[in-house]
Amino acid sequence: MSVPPNYIQTSKSRGSFFNNPANRALIYQFLLLMGLGYFFYIIISNTMSNMEARGIKSGISFLGETAGFDILMSLIPYDSTHTYGKTFIVGLLNTLLVSVIGIFLATIIGFIMGVAHFSRNWLISKSSTVFIETFRNIPLLLQVFFWYFAVLSSLPSARQSLSIGEAFFLNVRGLYLPHLAGDEGSVVVYGAVFIAITSIIALHRFAKIQQEKTGKQLPVLRLSLAILIVLPLFATLIMGTPFHWELPVLKGFNYQGGTTIIPELIALSLALSIYTGAFIAEAVRAGVQSVPHGQTEAARSIGMNEKQIMKLIIVPQAMRVISPLLNSEYQSLVKNSTLATAIGYPDLFTVFVGTTLNQTGQAIEIVFMTMAVYFAINMFISVLMNLFDKKVSLITR
Amino acid sequence: MQTFNPLPDKPAPAQTVGITGWLKNNLFSSPLNSLATIVVAAILIKVLPAMIDWLFISANWSGATQDDCTKDGACWVFVSAWSQQFFYGSYPDEEIWRVNLCLAMLVAIITASLRVKKELREKVFIPLFLLLPFISIAILDGSYLGLVQVDTDYWGGFSLNVLLAAASIIVAFPLGFLWALGRRSHMPLARTISIGFIEFFRGVPVLALFFMGSVMLPLFFPEGTNVDKLLRVWIVLVFFMSGYMAEVYRGGFNAIPAGQYEAADSLGLSYWQKTLLIILPQVIKISMPNILATFVMLFKNTTFLLIIGIFEMLSTTQTALSNSHWLGGHAEEGYLFVALVFWVCCFSMSMMASAIERKLNTDHKN
Repeated sequence: MSVPPNYIQTSKSRGSFFNNPANRALIYQFLLLMGLGYFFYIIISNTMSNMEARGIKSGISFLGETAGFDILMSLIPYDSTHTYGKTFIVGLLNTLLVSVIGIFLATIIGFIMGVAHFSRNWLISKSSTVFIETFRNIPLLLQVFFWYFAVLSSLPSARQSLSIGEAFFLNVRGLYLPHLAGDEGSVVVYGAVFIAITSIIALHRFAKIQQEKTGKQLPVLRLSLAILIVLPLFATLIMGTPFHWELPVLKGFNYQGGTTIIPELIALSLALSIYTGAFIAEAVRAGVQSVPHGQTEAARSIGMNEKQIMKLIIVPQAMRVISPLLNSEYQSLVKNSTLATAIGYPDLFTVFVGTTLNQTGQAIEIVFMTMAVYFAINMFISVLMNLFDKKVSLITR
Repeated sequence: MQTFNPLPDKPAPAQTVGITGWLKNNLFSSPLNSLATIVVAAILIKVLPAMIDWLFISANWSGATQDDCTKDGACWVFVSAWSQQFFYGSYPDEEIWRVNLCLAMLVAIITASLRVKKELREKVFIPLFLLLPFISIAILDGSYLGLVQVDTDYWGGFSLNVLLAAASIIVAFPLGFLWALGRRSHMPLARTISIGFIEFFRGVPVLALFFMGSVMLPLFFPEGTNVDKLLRVWIVLVFFMSGYMAEVYRGGFNAIPAGQYEAADSLGLSYWQKTLLIILPQVIKISMPNILATFVMLFKNTTFLLIIGIFEMLSTTQTALSNSHWLGGHAEEGYLFVALVFWVCCFSMSMMASAIERKLNTDHKN
């Protein structure tokens, strides 16, 4: 057996050291590391000396100090004797609140408007286009201002409130809703709701297994609705309606009792959900358009009706396009919720980067903590949406 | 012999053609559809006339002060009285030609570079384009050119939104490309740094970045240096934008077939020759619609500068609204005007983006 001649050169005979790409890459990276290290060294040493010169403290010990300022709205008990650390939590909860409201409403608005684009009704399809193109192309901050300064501040005062049936009141100070307060025994009803939800999930699993085994479809939607309504209703009746309504009542200059939604929250969630809703509508439009027309024709030719075509052919395929877009829209909604600071809604940004920073002067810690929070929220959304994405994405071999 | 004489064509049923046909097909095709039409039409009939009346018919068009607004409708006098502030901020009257010159240069260079020959474009217009931010700063500031110095505190209005957005994207163009290259690099360190940078600037609210620019950046510079506020904002915007542009370019890179790289390699081109001559032009072409969309986002986001006290258009509007001579509640007029200006700009850019997309889209779907 003859040994083949060695055509492939070994690395020893490769010529000069610098002509080896691996060596060059090492050198470049080394230089990059040096440059970066020098850059950070300069920045950190400058910052240290600047902070010393200005007498700014460092570290996060300020979180334990008394804040001494009030916050307009708080989901947990808070007053000015609490700490800066507590202001962080209050702000964070308010940010989460407005983000959840915004994402919820924006999704509804977006899907309705996106589907309306394909309506066979000319008026509706054109209205959806006008809606999308108007709100997508106007700066969000302007929309926040418009709702806050032009619409909500022109509402009547408390005594002339707009009202629906003496239960809902809308005036310049906010929206007043009746509050459903639970009495003794309401826990049972909450428990019933929980059981209803878990059994619906179990039902879905069961129905899927049944369909795969026998090919028979259970009326899942109707059954779930029935469970969701009957079980809590039954519990309510057994416990003798353990609820009562707390209605807002005009006392002095304003309404007391019930749930109050401050105008800042209304303006911000309206603006966020309409602005993002317009983008989601555009995403939905793109998603539905991405499904080739042949798919609809093929579905029709095997005898599917319009509802089946929508549910089984178009939506699953459109979701593949919509889902990643939805992910980035949700993330930008959370980031845009920082605009709260322009109208004074006490979100994390207003409370923490605004007031707390002003009082303590610890810019670096505060700005980085806030950035980390938004980063974390967005990571969380991203992880959730990626799970969803995996569910709807094309399963290939 | 019998001949075949066809009867004249019957007209189509009256219900399927003309206005009735259109109405039946598009507005009243089913009971539910008819109901929807009626509801939407009712809302339009209720809202539109009142709106048109307020906007145009009983609006006040001429005058100079609030007292000239005698009719019930919109007080457009407010807008016309403040229009110079809206567009130029408090830039001195006799120096406004400089702002106009910068805007004209921007438009001229963009339109010219689309029309001139490739040779001229690469040698003259693209370098000019990349230098434009610095030329504009020199002109607007004036002290380098022997003109009267105009402090950045006086820059403002809509021209500031436009120039700042343009200046940011022009610098972010090459920078974003570098980050995108870094992200694709085989060197682990370069890749890590690029990914960190891109994800940081994309994952953090732009407002937090602006605050970083206004409260943290001064701490980073050596003691005693006083960096202009607008300059700091510009730095932040450039970084922010380059993070987004890097993602846009990434999409472009992914769309380029591997054969292009292999062909360039087999011709013996170096890394930079391959990247700049073969890959970059294709990436830019493919990502053009997304670049425009990103620019629209940046342009809208320049209004956020109001929060850190830069006098862009929205913030001059807020100032005008709180002016003691104009306290009659002109928020609607002011906001509508600003909205209209931004809408026209953003809408035309998105139209442009979708036109390019259509031109590039050569598949035969649907």
